[in-house]
Amino acid sequence: MSESSASALPPGRRSRQPFIHPENLSLDSSGFSSPPVNFLQELPSYRSIARRRTTILSRDKQSGTLLKPTDSYSSQLEGGITENLNSQSIRKYALNISEKRRLRNIQETQMKYLSEWDQWKRYSSKSWKRFIGKAREMTTHLELWREDIRSIEGKFGTGIQSYFSFLRFLVLLNLVIFLIIFMLVLLPVLLTKYNITNSTFVVIPSQDTDVQCTVYPISSSGLIYFYSYVIDLLSGTGFLEETCLFYGHYTIDGVKFQNFTYDLPLAYLLSTIAYLALSLLWIVKRSVEGFKINLIRSEEHFQSYCNKIFAGWDFCITNRGMADLKHSSLRYELRADLEEERIRQKIAERTSEETIRIYSLRLFLNCIVLAVLAACFYAIYRATIFSQEHMKKEIDKMVFGENLLILYLPSIVITLANFITPMIFAKIIHYEDYSPGFEIRLTILRCVFMRLATICVLVFTLGSKITSCDNYSCELCGYNQKLYPCWETQVGQEMYKLMIFDLIIILAVTLFVDFPRKHVTNQFPGEMLLVTYCSSWKLIQCWGQQEFAIPDNVLGIVYGQTICWIGAFFSPLLPAIATLKFIIIFYVKEMSLLYTCRPSPRQFRASNSNFFFLLVLLIGLCLAIIPLTISMARISSSKACGPFTNFNTTWEVVPKTVSTFPSSLQSLVYGVTSEAFAVPFFMIICLIMFYFIALAGAHKRVVVQLREQLSLESRDKRYLIQKLTEAQKDIKNRLDWQ
Amino acid sequence: MGQCLRHQMHWEDLEEYQALTFLTRNEILCIHDTFLKLCPPGKYYKEATLTTDQVRSLPALRVNPFRDRICKVFSHNDVFSFEDVLGMASVFSEQACPSLKIEYAFRIYDFNENGFIDEEDLQRIVLRLLNSDDVSEDLLTDLTNHVLNESDLDNDNMLSFSEFEHAMAKSPDFMNSFRIHFWGF
Repeated sequence: MSESSASALPPGRRSRQPFIHPENLSLDSSGFSSPPVNFLQELPSYRSIARRRTTILSRDKQSGTLLKPTDSYSSQLEGGITENLNSQSIRKYALNISEKRRLRNIQETQMKYLSEWDQWKRYSSKSWKRFIGKAREMTTHLELWREDIRSIEGKFGTGIQSYFSFLRFLVLLNLVIFLIIFMLVLLPVLLTKYNITNSTFVVIPSQDTDVQCTVYPISSSGLIYFYSYVIDLLSGTGFLEETCLFYGHYTIDGVKFQNFTYDLPLAYLLSTIAYLALSLLWIVKRSVEGFKINLIRSEEHFQSYCNKIFAGWDFCITNRGMADLKHSSLRYELRADLEEERIRQKIAERTSEETIRIYSLRLFLNCIVLAVLAACFYAIYRATIFSQEHMKKEIDKMVFGENLLILYLPSIVITLANFITPMIFAKIIHYEDYSPGFEIRLTILRCVFMRLATICVLVFTLGSKITSCDNYSCELCGYNQKLYPCWETQVGQEMYKLMIFDLIIILAVTLFVDFPRKHVTNQFPGEMLLVTYCSSWKLIQCWGQQEFAIPDNVLGIVYGQTICWIGAFFSPLLPAIATLKFIIIFYVKEMSLLYTCRPSPRQFRASNSNFFFLLVLLIGLCLAIIPLTISMARISSSKACGPFTNFNTTWEVVPKTVSTFPSSLQSLVYGVTSEAFAVPFFMIICLIMFYFIALAGAHKRVVVQLREQLSLESRDKRYLIQKLTEAQKDIKNRLDWQ
Repeated sequence: MGQCLRHQMHWEDLEEYQALTFLTRNEILCIHDTFLKLCPPGKYYKEATLTTDQVRSLPALRVNPFRDRICKVFSHNDVFSFEDVLGMASVFSEQACPSLKIEYAFRIYDFNENGFIDEEDLQRIVLRLLNSDDVSEDLLTDLTNHVLNESDLDNDNMLSFSEFEHAMAKSPDFMNSFRIHFWGF
């Protein structure tokens, strides 16, 4: 179908013919009535499909006119099935159990006539399938939170359930990332600590670089107030700074085993690359199904009516309240879709003046959106600089609360910006006059960009502070060694603070806003009427019972995951903290859902949601890779701490390792990474891509042609049936006359 | 799923049901347990039957707008034997293959049972889904026309099985939504 929606029917398709109504053709009541449906059931095409469906042994229904073959016909069909018994397993047949049992017995008697080899092959394939089935059954028991998610699905539908499945996926991802880092980096460190193996420690160079670069002042351990421990816990400074939580602790250069030396700096770098690659592959693998479906669906309207009507009802709903809600959401959704069609028609009929006016209005509003974004980014920039400058003052000179405020200032500003901007965007988009579905998508896209870009702004601000030294570029050490003697640890601390603050905010909002709100609503039931009456007033909605807003919640956890990806290089234990954080969030959100929320009437479809969540996660991953590559490849690694003091940048480990390879392997590696290889490779990839695009276009054209042909054939068929029926009528009349 | 009683079912029967349906061992035993609770006491489970009303008021089906069609499709002579219930649970289980689900979905949605889903069937489906009293004729005809536009390939105002199969193969929500958990109650 073409994408023009100006008319209700796509052009090029014949308009619907009124079907010849059965009553017009049915004959007299002497039993010779031949309604076309019966005719159609006798056509060879119908029967061959029925044979494929194996609806042979139909039930005895008086009224039904499902295929009722005679005995000879049924045995013919049965014979047809027994030929194919090898290929399909019995379960897949659409028969009831006693009939399947009969087929199984036939199959087993058949087996006796096979050769030994075939029998053994059949038997081994069956037992292999049974083994696989049992193994799959075992693994489903191991699935985390299976019962919880199933009960959520039954009570709230598949849209909200997809959010919790997504959360479970992130828990597993973080656990696996932590295992990788543990195996590659933490385990050798622990082995060394307990003197199981010998290892060489990093030699701090004293010749090449200035001795100033290697000064790393440790905070004085004089009289420490008690609250400084709390501050240290919340901000990663003080006693936490020297633990294995942060980059600075890893000073081992090589771990000596019996036969070889384990190069820890290389392992550290490889663990980072490994977890990024693993995350990318896993996300792409999970989103492949959703992507394939979106590719198929792109020919037609975004969410097809077939899907909504035939697969619209969640059969697993068991709750009366949820069923009513589902009915109302279906009513809303179907009406909204028809409304959207009408709006699209209206848009297509716009005059050119109106179009110009609308486009200039949209341009203006987009400039406002950009201005809002720029203002937020500037606020974050200033807050970060302020926080970094004032953090260096002594702890005991400031009051406790003020200290914490300064430390957490960037996080607070980011959270406020992420709270205010969605409201601004929602207001602006009303004036831009898009269709409702597109409005929702554009708002979500803007919010996603806002959330993820704030982290980037923070990281880039830090980066600019680290590489700028008092008006001249840092020639001495490559970075600002006075303020940041160990800059990786300090970036790690910022990420740690962001993560802790995010967790605190989520817990605080759930416990201190949602629960009391439900309490308040219970006290004043009249307010619920107000909410339902003025449901378009967002302010009143704020005070009514909380809706479980899926996009906001998803953006929150994608934000947390992006912080984890960026921070895992600077703070190797961060994935473990992220795992714990997501586990806590799962239980808190589940309780909040069960006790306080009512699901939104605007339902998110599960299939669509999965693809949307993974897409947003992928955007987060791409945004996380950028600061990591810049810090690994461009900024000099700190000379006072960490495993990379002997190298200029972190990435330098790799060329140094490659230079220790045998010369043939070295030349191979240099050859693969040179331009002489990369440019032809890129051109070949482009050619292959163009070929596939051309192939897909050709297939689409063929599909359109075949559909045309199919409808023409059907017209011919109906014409012939009509002629045949009339001829039969004539003959009957003539016989009656005689 | 809870603890299920394991009495009164022989091991060979269990193995056979596992081979012939898509249900796991635990699921079969739970259904067996539920069946025994509902059928008249003292009867051997293979001979006992449940009425359509009893099955329709199972918690899994109680709020389903298509429960009468489901019961009609899966019952024999308006009663459910144990194997009928198992067959029904197998089709609606998570592990069932798509072709089986599509086959039975077609039978369920074919209200007048003429082997095709025509406009009358579609209108009845929409009415069941919306479950409200004030559905305008325009809305019904609009929706029916949209569905037929999308999936009726040979333009005869009806959906044959192959057209339905083609439409459901492209539908991303079908496998997720066509699932019922009969156990655990």
